[in-house]
Amino acid sequence: MNRGPFIFVGLFIVLAFSWANLVNRPIQQSGQLSAIYDDSERKPRIAPGAADQGKLVYQQMGCVSCHTQQTRLTVGSDIDRAWGIRQSVARDYVGQYPALIGDRRIGPDLSNVGAKELDSEWHHLHFYNSQITSAGSNMPSYSFLYDVRPVIGQPSDRALDLPEGYEVDPGYEVVPTRRAEALVAYMLSLKVDYDLPEAPSPEKIGL
Amino acid sequence: MKFISNICSSLWPELSGELKGRETQWSIDSSIRYPLLGMIKPAAFWFVVSLIFGLIASIKLHSPGFLGSCEWLTYGKVEPVFWNSLIYGWLFNAGLACAFWLLARLGGAPIGNGFLLTVSLSIWNVALVVGLIGILMGGTLPLNWRESLTVSGQLPYEWLEMPPFIAPILLASFIGMGLWGLLTFRERVHRASYASQWYVLAALFAFAWIYTAAQIMLIREPSQGSLQYLVGSWYANNLLMIVIVPLALACVYYLLPKALGTPIVGYNHSGRAFWSWFIFASCAGSAELINGPIPAWVTAVGIIAAFGILYPLTVFGIQFLSTLFANFTRIWDTLSLRFVLFGCIGFIVFGAYYIYGSLRSTQEVAQFSSFSNGVQLLGLLGFASMIFSGFLYFILSRLLNKELPSAALAEIHFWMQLSGVLLLVSSLITGGLQEGELMNGSTVSVLSIVVNLKSYYVMASLGMFLMLLGAIAFLVSFTLFMFSTRSEKEETGTLIGESPELEASVS
Repeated sequence: MNRGPFIFVGLFIVLAFSWANLVNRPIQQSGQLSAIYDDSERKPRIAPGAADQGKLVYQQMGCVSCHTQQTRLTVGSDIDRAWGIRQSVARDYVGQYPALIGDRRIGPDLSNVGAKELDSEWHHLHFYNSQITSAGSNMPSYSFLYDVRPVIGQPSDRALDLPEGYEVDPGYEVVPTRRAEALVAYMLSLKVDYDLPEAPSPEKIGL
Repeated sequence: MKFISNICSSLWPELSGELKGRETQWSIDSSIRYPLLGMIKPAAFWFVVSLIFGLIASIKLHSPGFLGSCEWLTYGKVEPVFWNSLIYGWLFNAGLACAFWLLARLGGAPIGNGFLLTVSLSIWNVALVVGLIGILMGGTLPLNWRESLTVSGQLPYEWLEMPPFIAPILLASFIGMGLWGLLTFRERVHRASYASQWYVLAALFAFAWIYTAAQIMLIREPSQGSLQYLVGSWYANNLLMIVIVPLALACVYYLLPKALGTPIVGYNHSGRAFWSWFIFASCAGSAELINGPIPAWVTAVGIIAAFGILYPLTVFGIQFLSTLFANFTRIWDTLSLRFVLFGCIGFIVFGAYYIYGSLRSTQEVAQFSSFSNGVQLLGLLGFASMIFSGFLYFILSRLLNKELPSAALAEIHFWMQLSGVLLLVSSLITGGLQEGELMNGSTVSVLSIVVNLKSYYVMASLGMFLMLLGAIAFLVSFTLFMFSTRSEKEETGTLIGESPELEASVS
């Protein structure tokens, strides 16, 4: 152990082993997946352009700190909570860069949030102030994604319909910025409601 | 050869190439003083900064309105800034300062190439400031100078959130520091090497390797979809286990015999512990990816490797705790040793929780909860940060040849850091287990879980606050160290007695 080169060669082998087996081998094994087409539908779907813009906002705000985008079938209660309909598999993330999978849930999983019965108005209110839609939540307010501006002439048809207790001064309205619109478009595009042949689902494994 | 050198050294004493005892140490210390203080200054600064961000993030979990209207300080930005400044700011600067000091001391000769070290560490810290501002700005590139580097948005990989353009700068400056370490090791006078040196060299090499691999596989040539998740977690685990933990282990191996005057109990097991630690710890991280969208065998390998850690952990436990407890009466009077004692206990508990956390049955409950953050913070703050703090007090008085300016401030630092870590980690771990039980084991609404966990969030904030007080005490203590005038005893240089020559003889 007295020689530097011995330590370096040894460590090189150890780290190369770890890298080759735990990083490189899985990539060789399953890093070449491609989307599949059946019934003229691409799986996974391609998100519309506005959703791509929204994904950028999602990244900038670091939403991944609190929200995952992966669901598990055999353990946990993700399916019972209606966060997904099946196990997330590698093919769901084909073409995503960066893949916002996440490993911390302070809030709910979002992989299938677009399939829920929540419209864009709900999402806007939720982002503007989460207490409006989910009282007691510890989600931050993203009110800085919204413009508060005086009503000039006709009120905007995009203005938020704020409930009692959350109104702004009379003569003013709250209008989503482009970033807020994009973020909501991204939320609505998050749908893993299709089946993949390799993905375990409650029906397939008889749960 | 030895005969000739013996004759030479008796005829011309200075030809032996070595000054004797304290004089040698003094000349080494003065040669490294400038670059080392250049690392300790930013370390103390980052310690306070990271805990301020940690406190903000922690408060936001139970009072989401706190600083809520400020886009720069939304939770998703503050939280990664906390982790990145803690690791790359405080732990890297402090850890490398300790590591380089012991490389120089164990080398037995005044260091050269101080310029390389100073320049590299300055670039590192400036790049870090830019990178953290990048996170706060949302990760968008202020410098859009090359198409291939245009990735905007914060990166979602743990401890790699900084904008991609900063990575080559950080890597280059780290390689500068690593090269300095390598050169210092090469030019050592004592040919035999000691366990501390192995760990330092290993950590330097490991960081250059894993950081390059992660940057290539996540940013330059990104791997496909879900595999980015695997690469990211491989990097984060290895950063903790084979970069930061080895730096702290190097400090323990050095400080225990030096401060106690007795060799490490069972030192001859160190080699096996060293290799088994790197073999198993470098593979263990994938255990927590269980049931994720990656090949299932990868997590199985991770679980097995995590159990392999039991062997080196047992060796470390026996070596450190036996050495400490054999001299228990002396621990309480030496501030550095008190930090080391609690750091070592923290390390054993961290290792046990790490192995426990890799079990399938634990992950079924604790996955995606604050449990794994709690275990990480136990390793980072309860172990590494404790050890580095103690070691910095030990080297500062030698480096500056001054007495500790205020024992009370150091006491505050110690007690605040200890109680803060205990509060923070226990709330994250027990709160995480409860959170996981509700989140994974029931269909209770997420909103009511948040309400249920509020007391844990408040406890974590209190822990962060205590840690912040400790960090401020360290910063003040360090400032006083730098600016206090030397007393007569300090002027004459008789402050530090000769330390026992253990480093080269026990191996």
